[in-house]
Amino acid sequence: MPAITRFVCTPRRLPHCVVLGAVVLCACWVAGCGGKPTEPQFKPEPVLGHPGTDNPPPPGEPGPNGTGSSSTKEPPATRTEAVFTPPPLEDLDRDAKWIDRPVRDALEYLAKELAAEPRLATPAEALALVNNSAENNAKILSALGQLPEDGEADLDARVNRHLPVDLNSTNPILSSSAAEVDVLNLTNFGLFSFDRHLEPFAASEAVETWQTSVDATLDKVVLRDDLVWSDGTPITAHDVAFSYKVIMDERVPVPAVRSGTDQLRGVHAYDDRTVVFFHKAPMATNVWNINFPVIPEHVYGDSWEDDPTLKDSRHHVALEAKPIVGGPYEIVKRIRGQEILLEARESWHTVDGKQVRAVPFFKEIRFRIIEDPNTSLLALTKGEIDEMALTPEQWTTRTSSADFNERNTKATATEWVSFHFAWNTKSRFFSDRRVRRAMSHAFDHERMLETLCHGLYTPCTGAFHPESWMASKKPTEPYRQDLDRAEALLDEAGWIDHDNDGIRDRDIDGRSVPFEFTVLCTQQPMALEICSLLQQSLERIGVRVNVKPTEYTVLQQLMLEKKFDASFGGWGAGADPDTSSNIWATGEGRNFGSYSNPEVDRLFAEGRTELDRSRRAEKYARIQEILWEDQPYTWLFWRNSFYGFSKDLRGYVFSPRGPYHYSPGFGSLWKPAP
Amino acid sequence: MIHYLLRRLALGLVTLVLISFLVYGLIRSIPGTPLTAAVGQMDPSRKLNLADIERMNAAYGLDKPWYQAYFVWVSNVVRGDLGRSISRKAPVTQIIGERIGPTLALSGTSLLLTWALSIPLGLFTAARSGRPDERAVSLVLYMLYSVPTFVAALALQVTFSIWANGTAWELPLFGMTSGLPHANTAAWLTDVAQHGILPLVCMTYVSLAWYARFINTNLQEALRQDYIRTARAKGAGPVRVLVHHAFRNTLIPLVTLLGLSLPALLGGSVIVEQIFTWPGMGRLFFESLRERDYPTIMGLTLLFSVLTLTGQLLADILYAWVDPRVSLD
Repeated sequence: MPAITRFVCTPRRLPHCVVLGAVVLCACWVAGCGGKPTEPQFKPEPVLGHPGTDNPPPPGEPGPNGTGSSSTKEPPATRTEAVFTPPPLEDLDRDAKWIDRPVRDALEYLAKELAAEPRLATPAEALALVNNSAENNAKILSALGQLPEDGEADLDARVNRHLPVDLNSTNPILSSSAAEVDVLNLTNFGLFSFDRHLEPFAASEAVETWQTSVDATLDKVVLRDDLVWSDGTPITAHDVAFSYKVIMDERVPVPAVRSGTDQLRGVHAYDDRTVVFFHKAPMATNVWNINFPVIPEHVYGDSWEDDPTLKDSRHHVALEAKPIVGGPYEIVKRIRGQEILLEARESWHTVDGKQVRAVPFFKEIRFRIIEDPNTSLLALTKGEIDEMALTPEQWTTRTSSADFNERNTKATATEWVSFHFAWNTKSRFFSDRRVRRAMSHAFDHERMLETLCHGLYTPCTGAFHPESWMASKKPTEPYRQDLDRAEALLDEAGWIDHDNDGIRDRDIDGRSVPFEFTVLCTQQPMALEICSLLQQSLERIGVRVNVKPTEYTVLQQLMLEKKFDASFGGWGAGADPDTSSNIWATGEGRNFGSYSNPEVDRLFAEGRTELDRSRRAEKYARIQEILWEDQPYTWLFWRNSFYGFSKDLRGYVFSPRGPYHYSPGFGSLWKPAP
Repeated sequence: MIHYLLRRLALGLVTLVLISFLVYGLIRSIPGTPLTAAVGQMDPSRKLNLADIERMNAAYGLDKPWYQAYFVWVSNVVRGDLGRSISRKAPVTQIIGERIGPTLALSGTSLLLTWALSIPLGLFTAARSGRPDERAVSLVLYMLYSVPTFVAALALQVTFSIWANGTAWELPLFGMTSGLPHANTAAWLTDVAQHGILPLVCMTYVSLAWYARFINTNLQEALRQDYIRTARAKGAGPVRVLVHHAFRNTLIPLVTLLGLSLPALLGGSVIVEQIFTWPGMGRLFFESLRERDYPTIMGLTLLFSVLTLTGQLLADILYAWVDPRVSLD
């Protein structure tokens, strides 16, 4: 009987085997080989400010990873310390006239502010409420967003926090994502921070004095003498200067924090406590450039030159699991993909047996990683986590039940996060301002706000939030659907249906081009619905739209390469309005639509160097007005923050960047003593 | 036999190189790099500087053409170094190593359970074909097969974790352990086992239905063969006909399935792992693809390719064992 070799791989059948192998691999990607290949149901992780996700930025962090603002036109500085020789401190003190800058205890400052606000309800009243109206929301925020009286807080309390995605790095200079900000804000050491009005200050836990020279080119900081790293080594000014050196080294793959530090001429430690920051130019944004994370020199000093990636060597790999930190908490346990356990660090608040800083409100903070939003909501309902950011859909439909309200409450507040359609101003369709305006007129804003967004959001009327200091004070009417106006503008711009096929067209370079374009968005349901509404709206004026849901990373790459006509996305606000120049100034990194207006460029440049706040505000207000005229985006709505909290938690106070991404942020939360 | 094995191993190696080359080329051709994913998550307060992206590309060696980078990767692999994950700042072997245990615990148990249940179910449905009890079992199997995993998972979570909260039926909602310290290994094992029950059910029910139907169909076909009539004619009892004569002859396709399910042991399941926050391989693969974390994707590709090829080799060797007509010499 002949041998059966049907499934045996012979050279002749090799290509077949490779294909089989590849098919098996593909099947593994799709279904994990675990059963029938069902399409995975995923939601992209919440990301920081990116067009194309309807879950953008809990923007930025206070503390060490504050905001940076800088012009990106100059080539990146490299190994600055080699060319920069700092003058002796005596010379500086002799020549510079120093002005004292605010050094604050963030909690104390917040407590004072809160004390001045009226209390709308008692905690017991607020806990009995179901948050189903603006009035109840205000009562909940007012009553439960208070700091504890003496002895009221349980200083042995533990809290379980939700983390929607694992950290990629625990090294603050390599980190960039929102999840990393959430964890590392509690463990990092930093000199500066900003409050809930996004005003910068130096943290009194770390800094004794902060002074700026009158000409705004120098900042001098004297550190406290009672600071130690988690391994007991003192934290000194040399650590600050060292961190700057590492961040600015070309070989170190620093993803985010370089923008800002690249605007410094140098950072020099004159002794263990005195550090001076030398700016390239006197700028209003300098205050953000000195706010960068600090890493310990005694830990990285010898190792970083050998392994500038900070992640390859055994030493650096071990540090990823258990970093040496300088903040109030330290990481005591980290199980990738599952949880991160932080413990309050005794050496933070007590030095030589004496309490030198306030004891944090939680003894233990456990971050539990739950990627699936349904599971995390069930975990909150069950009491396995104490807080989480809710999706708008969860806020509207899944958090009104008695099950949820038995253990939890929820709160919402304005956040400076806006959504838009971005038009590529270099595309043949949208280079004409009239066409972009026509798009804004044609879109059915009312239906989006009322039906798709459940009436939760306010319409967005420009680049800066109306409550911000830099927003234009001129009343701006939001766009409403006006098809006649839109059609007139398109006619004027030459887009007319010459061939009567129902689609407008125009002669471009001797060829008739139909007005048909593609709008990119993520695969999230709301993004798709809003883009489909655009499709329906524009169909009524003879413009054909193809909606293309795109994988997140592909979308991001297409935007970076400017290979798109239109896209749906959102931005969170930076703490300083100058960060918006990254979106609107000519040739900037986030200017995906290639918008260019010399006046806007000039106003941004002036805004950077103008030190007077009210005159600065005028520049940005003018920018906002010009942008509104030009409509490089069709601005859609401002999105709120939505959070669910355990009824045991108190002290949540929202900022324009949500409840945590400012100072004290999570530091103001507490649990009452039993 | 030895000659055959050597030939297969050599061919396997060539296949491995081809697969890895192909996959490397493919993943490097997908739009976006590890940096694209990273800058997308950047704080908007930090300006995005295109020169910075270039600099980081160079720091990670992403500025070289992919075939060059492939040879660097291969030469490192030959030296036993799978490289470092770009997004996770840790060695690939460590990242994959951390996931092997949890994945195996879930997939291995699920696979065993599937086989242990589907063979008797398949035999039963074939033996009782057309009768009411068989129709009832088959109906249930079809229904199970058509329930999407994420729906079943949510239903199980709500039932056993929320409604049963505080009762003896309560099961953990998510995770692999409760995270609290354990008194001893037995306590830890119990904790993991409790956490594993719901994901295990989710992973098993679909494949159970699928495998049982597969065995049933093959048996039905075998039962129509002449040799079965012969066996019955010579007086063999119904059980002996079913198990000894029919089932033995359906082992050949089953062995193919068994061989193919070897990579599934470590492949994990994206959906189940995601919903139950189980730190398995499926989630790792999915996240790495999203992050364009080339070193991790390649490490996993290599692992799955080796398992796939080994599975096929094992299947071929098992043929010779289950089918006397097959000879490997």
